[in-house]
Amino acid sequence: MSILQDVINWLLSLGAAIFVPIIIIIAGLIVGMKIKDAVSAGITLGVAFTGMSMLISFMSEAIGPAAEAMLKSTGINLPIVDGGWTTLSAIAWSWPYAFLMFPLMIGINIIMLIINKTKTFNADLWNVWGKIFTGVAVAAVCQPYFGTAGSIAVAFVTAAVQIVFELKMADMYQYRIEKLSGIPGVTCTHKMGFTSIFMFPIDCLLKKIPALNKRFDAAVLKDKIGIFAESHVLGFILGIIFGILARYGVAETLTLGIQASCSLTLFPVISKYFMMALEPISTAISAFMNKKFDDRTLVVGLDWPFMGGANEIWLAVFLCIPVTLICSMILPGNEILPFAGIVNNAIAVAAFLVTGGNILRMCILVIIFAPAYLWVGTVMAPFISDLARSTGAVSLKAGELISCSSIDGPIQTYAFSHLFKFLDGNFFPLALCVIFVVCFIALYRYLGREEKEGREIN
Amino acid sequence: MKQIVVACGSGVATSQTVASKVNRLLKENNIPAEVLAVDIKSVDRYIPSSVAYIAITKVDKEYPIPVINGIAFLTGVGQDAEFKKLVDAVNNG
Repeated sequence: MSILQDVINWLLSLGAAIFVPIIIIIAGLIVGMKIKDAVSAGITLGVAFTGMSMLISFMSEAIGPAAEAMLKSTGINLPIVDGGWTTLSAIAWSWPYAFLMFPLMIGINIIMLIINKTKTFNADLWNVWGKIFTGVAVAAVCQPYFGTAGSIAVAFVTAAVQIVFELKMADMYQYRIEKLSGIPGVTCTHKMGFTSIFMFPIDCLLKKIPALNKRFDAAVLKDKIGIFAESHVLGFILGIIFGILARYGVAETLTLGIQASCSLTLFPVISKYFMMALEPISTAISAFMNKKFDDRTLVVGLDWPFMGGANEIWLAVFLCIPVTLICSMILPGNEILPFAGIVNNAIAVAAFLVTGGNILRMCILVIIFAPAYLWVGTVMAPFISDLARSTGAVSLKAGELISCSSIDGPIQTYAFSHLFKFLDGNFFPLALCVIFVVCFIALYRYLGREEKEGREIN
Repeated sequence: MKQIVVACGSGVATSQTVASKVNRLLKENNIPAEVLAVDIKSVDRYIPSSVAYIAITKVDKEYPIPVINGIAFLTGVGQDAEFKKLVDAVNNG
């Protein structure tokens, strides 16, 4: 037993770029991949980790000094590097227990289908990392209360609760999503939708203002400003803004612009290798699930982009970019300099779902909720950085902090992961959990009536 | 090698899942084409060099190349028919 423990510890000490590929090779063989394909997937994953680590170092070296200079020139202290969701997912996958989340998610889904508590089969196996991330946060927060083994157990229980809520959310939004996207038989299981639960009471108030219920065509505006949100252009603009705020000279500012553009352009390029490595496993699991429930018509749960045909989502995303940037400078308690996570699809999709695509109300909700993403990104930074350091997923300098300015479903993630803080007398996360459950039930009923009456969405 | 393009929100997750899956199908069927996953905000830049566009969203714009339903590759429903359409597009493109 102790030899096995030693071997595992040795493998973990080699870092994420070694041990996660070993796990994926084993997982691949379990789901019936050929040895050469499994090994290929494993090496690809090692490449993904190493590439991400390289890119994050490059980004920190470009942005870090600018953030320091900004502190000197403007007094705004934003020391946390924003690596975006791709960085978060890399760090989440490096959690030693990460792959156990697959059987948990599939197991719960199968049980819920068998006992008829859901109609959704979640095929979005990539976003298992969202559950892993909640688990990572829970384990870090609970460590002082329950010890290592106890906190990991609580992490999996919390993830299980999140999985149940994701399936129920997918069920309740399916009718509305079909009406809005025009695509039948699919829904969205992504936890980014949880923010819509907190938006719901505010949206109910906004709906009472007649002027906000007008609709207009978002397509024209989207085509005009769309270019500014393309990774390379946006990265360049952000780099220039940071350079100016840091009082850099022209040459340094232009260089920072190109370096920032390079970082934002390369993030998706490198993150793709994670998908390439994980795709065969997720396809094998989907095929298994499809065979198991062949006789039933299931709704398939997907990641959000199938709704990306809606121009309203993109307009809200574009609006959120300057809002986030301004908030980061003036918001008390924020320490993130928004960068790689600044294209916040998560907030836009949540607002899209809850308003049924009403662009005016979406914009107001984006402005109200943007601070939550910065605060939660700030609060989560210490454990994200600790995990990155201990697994070697990202090489960070001493004292350097990394996080994301657009964590999916930030309020829910914070509330679920910090719940046990009440043991220290902090009842705020507990209160948020209660609000979440109450609003969830209210929205569930509201959407149930909408579906039953076959209402049009407007 | 002919190019096929697929797009999603960031060109990372959903689009690459479809790209990897379709690339495997193309390889198994010995079809000389490759799928490229891109950011939907940049997709128009890739259309001229591609023989088909696998769309994950509902498309109401007109494209000069055949548009294939990408949802089929995510859910498995109607996948064979969409793959056949894609193969035809490669052969004619």
